Amino acid sequence: MHDQLAKYAARLIADRAARPDGIAFAAQDDLLITEGNPELARLAGDTLSCLSALSLVAARPSLPFADFLVQRAETGESCIVPRDTETRTFLHDIPFLRRDEPGMDTGGRIARHLGNRKGVVVEGVGIVASGSVTVEQAYINYSSVFHATFVKYLEVLLREGFRLPGEREAFAAFRRDWLRPLTAEGLVFRQGALSEPGEILAEMEAVGRYTVERGLVDSFFGNISCRSGEVIYISQTAASLNELAGCIDPVPTDNSNTCGITASSELLAHRRIYEASGARVILHGHPKFSVVMSMLCAEANCPVSDCWRECPKVRFLGDTPVVAGEIGAGGLAKRVPPVIAGPGRAVVYGHGVFTIGADFGEAFRAMVEVENWCRAEYFRRLDDGPGLAAKVVTEIRRAPAD
Amino acid sequence: MNGWTGKILKVDLTSGRAWREDIPTELLHAYLGGRGLGVRLLRDHYRLDPFDPAMPLVFAVGPLCGTTAPTAARLTVVSRSPLTSTIYDCSAGGRFAWRLKGAGVDALHVSGESPRPVVLVVNGESAELIPADSLWGKTIHETVAALAGKGSVAAIGPAGENGVLFANIMMGEGNSVGRGGLGAVMGKKRLKAVVVEGERPVEIADRQRFDHARQDVMRLFRASPVIFGELGIAEYGTPALVDLMRQRRMAPTENFRKTVFADSGNYAGPALRRDFQARKDGCYGCPIQCKKSTPQGEHLPEYETVSHFGALNGISSLSAIVRANTLCNELGLDTISAAATISAWGEARGRFPDAAEVATLLTDIAWRRGDGLLLSLGSRRAAAELGRPELSMSVKALELPAYDPRGAYGMALAYCTSNRGGCHLRAYPISHEILRKPVPTDRFSFSGKARIIKIAEDSNAAVDSLVACKFSFFGATLEEYAELLSATTRVEYTPQTLKEIGERICLTERFYNCGNGFTAAEDRLPERFHAEPGSSGEGIDIPPIDRARFNEELAKYYRIRGLTPEGTFADADFLEKQP
Ligand code: SF4
Repeated sequence: MHDQLAKYAARLIADRAARPDGIAFAAQDDLLITEGNPELARLAGDTLSCLSALSLVAARPSLPFADFLVQRAETGESCIVPRDTETRTFLHDIPFLRRDEPGMDTGGRIARHLGNRKGVVVEGVGIVASGSVTVEQAYINYSSVFHATFVKYLEVLLREGFRLPGEREAFAAFRRDWLRPLTAEGLVFRQGALSEPGEILAEMEAVGRYTVERGLVDSFFGNISCRSGEVIYISQTAASLNELAGCIDPVPTDNSNTCGITASSELLAHRRIYEASGARVILHGHPKFSVVMSMLCAEANCPVSDCWRECPKVRFLGDTPVVAGEIGAGGLAKRVPPVIAGPGRAVVYGHGVFTIGADFGEAFRAMVEVENWCRAEYFRRLDDGPGLAAKVVTEIRRAPAD
Repeated sequence: MNGWTGKILKVDLTSGRAWREDIPTELLHAYLGGRGLGVRLLRDHYRLDPFDPAMPLVFAVGPLCGTTAPTAARLTVVSRSPLTSTIYDCSAGGRFAWRLKGAGVDALHVSGESPRPVVLVVNGESAELIPADSLWGKTIHETVAALAGKGSVAAIGPAGENGVLFANIMMGEGNSVGRGGLGAVMGKKRLKAVVVEGERPVEIADRQRFDHARQDVMRLFRASPVIFGELGIAEYGTPALVDLMRQRRMAPTENFRKTVFADSGNYAGPALRRDFQARKDGCYGCPIQCKKSTPQGEHLPEYETVSHFGALNGISSLSAIVRANTLCNELGLDTISAAATISAWGEARGRFPDAAEVATLLTDIAWRRGDGLLLSLGSRRAAAELGRPELSMSVKALELPAYDPRGAYGMALAYCTSNRGGCHLRAYPISHEILRKPVPTDRFSFSGKARIIKIAEDSNAAVDSLVACKFSFFGATLEEYAELLSATTRVEYTPQTLKEIGERICLTERFYNCGNGFTAAEDRLPERFHAEPGSSGEGIDIPPIDRARFNEELAKYYRIRGLTPEGTFADADFLEKQP
């Protein structure tokens, strides 16, 4: 278990999701063990001992966005409601504890919330998340909360502007110090069609690693595939993009065997994209600015309430089409294929980016471009002020698709 | 009260009396329904012999039954198993649960022994016993047809009547209350069938909250490759697992001597679809519809059944396997135990049966004649009588299903800690060890598995008490089901409180078992798994399970559960401290 705690503490640091000196894990088998920042470790241990769970992480996020969301929340509110598809689907909402909330001990209060949800924001302390099955699961849940609060805060900020003392400065530091330029430069991709299984697996593993290392996506938020003849090689469900060795399923296109039951939930979307586009590879991830920008919509008096699933329009972020559709059998596999072939890229409302190519270099560069465009556009609008952001949003070029 | 009716219908078959009683609200809140409620209702009876007339047979539904909570129209039957001697519960889909709730009760408690075969007919407030001499000896299909128009049916076939220790209770739509021989308990009471009709609706306390939670569940189902993925169980049924188990080299073959069967593709999901035009079918009110049937309505076998009549007996003919499955359904036999018992017998005599012989054997088992007389006792007793006790691939006399424990160490541990014997569904580690849900774990490692199994057993005990289908949890979690429950009942539940309820249920079951003499000595795998390797190859090594490491993890499990090193209770008053 100790090796697991060390591994995922290192991952949080590599992801730049937590401050290196502010991470603690607790895990219980027949004994409870804790590791990391002593103060947080005590809290982690106290909390986990009240829960029917195997692991817990308590860490100070590398960005203050979660705390800002808590401070912006109205009196009486008790949770952050994320709007991105991933967290909306798997976490529903994220409870928070305010710094000055009276009541029982902090560990007990956190445990009460974690008894109901996978992660909680504790103002002034950080994000606490549990895992019922593995240490990795606590790490994933922490990452999900970090992702959700990042996306939500960027959305709120664009709408409302800076409001809190110190917020503008903290955000400037984020732009200056935390964000890094996104680029494919220096990466080595195999060019052209891949046909040898060994070659395909090796390339997929390398590209999966690149997406995480370059900060394009968080490790658990995405999938990747390559088509060779009548087989689609696709990353498995719940696979970490930077650890794909042994986690890629070869799925025959005629469904003549069902081993691919463990494949990514987006297998159907990948299959339909291949059919519609003739691409050889597909990359899918949830880069944060693309997710944020995909949810900006100018439509007035729109009758649709479930935009994630039911928006019938094709909108655009620059040249990239944006469509609705939820994960798996939730409609994404129907709406992405018709729009992706021409531009080689598409964004799904609140969810993420699909890119295609003749090889992974092309798909990777396309994803970098989409995210860079969204990042630039986000800051352009933010710098123009919240009023403009509300008015000038993504252009709508087409009538309802059907 | 929302969600529950607060009533139990009690029927004494000896006197022919039927009456209703109130169930204390705090028991419903503390045990939910289904498995939990049934287990609690056995508190004063758990030491009785399963065939003692006073031993109750409890049919219980859950607080979500009667609502549109996905997969929650399920019934649980609880009693003591004549096969395993443990406390025993099993859940099944079908309209019966819905109708029972509609008749205004949370549970039906049947005790006594009728002097002659009877059918219990429940219609709304009324309950009566009608003679069933003419139905005795009839197949399930014939029985259900004869009772058509009276309501939803739960019946036994010849196997239950004749006391086969792995006889099922079969629901009218073909679902089975399987494994532990509760059909034989019903047969001993001479209760051929229960028929229920009821229309009373269930009031949901907070409709808006309920609908929201339901949408969350459906979104998670759609996001789950195992459920609604194009290679998932909604498309191919549980036989979608055949190819995967072959690839993972953990498909029990020839009585677990091997773990790969070369011809398994013959009965995999795509073959069922191709050869039998498998179409979607499933439990009443379930959006997943994981069961498959032919266009003529013949039920097609589940994963366990195709694999055990297939690989375990060396049979590669899909039509023979489908025929065996249909025969079991008609006779009221559990397919896993039937196939595994025949396989153990086959190994003992040095020859596994061919397809034609299987059909004859199944009929003989149900009628307890010829070789079937011995086989009707299940593999543990049959192998012992043959002087080859080591050939019974069972834990606590319950035959192991089609996941070889050498290919998944959490599964190995969970077979042994299961309170009803060698069952895969109590902790269902296949979910994470093979299907990567909710997250993957290393199938060849014991690390952390004791805690994982404990938590999963508790969670699943709560699920079995709601009563929801385990397959829901390939997508959803207790978070959404706690919401559905709170919205339905206006009593606040969380995943944590549900797990605590599950823990209470698991410990109560174990306490009953310990009271009947079970200790750590029964939490053991058959020796074969520690002594013989599986079929290694294709870069996958399937060695025997390290006994010392297994024992170490089992000891951890006892500590986590608060048990003694012998797997028993230090506190003799444990039960008295429970609600
Ligand atoms: S998933 Fe399958 S077994 Fe479960 S309730 Fe639905 S149809 Fe029945």
